[in-house]
Amino acid sequence: MKIKRRATRADVPSMAMGDIAFNLLIFFVILARAQDDSHLQWTPAEASNIESAGHSVVSVLIDSDEKLYLNGQPIGEANLEMKIEELLGDFSVGDRTVLLKVHREATALRFEPVIEAISSAGGELVHIVEEDRDG
Amino acid sequence: MKIRRRSSNLLIEPPSSATGDIAFNLIVFFLVCASVQPDSGRHQTLPRSEETEQKQKKDENIEVVVKRQVALVNGDVVPLAQFQARLMTLLAGKPRPEDKVVVVKSDKDVPYHFWMTVTSQIEDAGGIITLQIEEEREVQVP
Repeated sequence: MKIKRRATRADVPSMAMGDIAFNLLIFFVILARAQDDSHLQWTPAEASNIESAGHSVVSVLIDSDEKLYLNGQPIGEANLEMKIEELLGDFSVGDRTVLLKVHREATALRFEPVIEAISSAGGELVHIVEEDRDG
Repeated sequence: MKIRRRSSNLLIEPPSSATGDIAFNLIVFFLVCASVQPDSGRHQTLPRSEETEQKQKKDENIEVVVKRQVALVNGDVVPLAQFQARLMTLLAGKPRPEDKVVVVKSDKDVPYHFWMTVTSQIEDAGGIITLQIEEEREVQVP
């Protein structure tokens, strides 16, 4: 007499897939936020004739406490030029955009050396500002 | 005689199996919305810095001094309303790019928004901005 083997189903449990995907997403979002500067406090200045800044791998920010950040990470003024040069690498002209975000009340004592460092590193400076609607 | 209403279990509970997928898609949607929000700003071309001693000859470029609330063009206070027109007049007789260089010197306490207003007007007038930054050096006397 033949005994029939019982067929067992080996399905991947699909109930938890949504939760796994959700947690992975949260993980990568947190990882990405550590590199951007959206969590920093600053108010942009206004200017006329503004245009899209385009893609950039370097973002320099001076926040409302006049602290300096490079891609969301605190940095000293002395190291800024070297770090920007490292990040820009061998990028060709047109791809060397550096976004500069400065709090509107920051003083020249703080932002002028930063502009000089970006210029010396060969960055193409774009001031991130808001459109001046009052003219 | 009362007729009893037949109770039905249909659609009493919302289907919960798809809630995770809906939440996931909502998150992806808002993430995409957030990431495509473009930054807008003003391009500014600055020549690479070079160290120049102040004692050297004074060139004939236009000099703009930015103070906390006013701007001076070649030593004269110019109201912001007339600033661009004044620069355009000065730059009008200078066809070569090297003559269009405007040397910008700012006080330490000039706020960024005022500095941006002044430098934007210089660029809109056709000037090429060059920053003059004073370098402070500490010299220890024995």
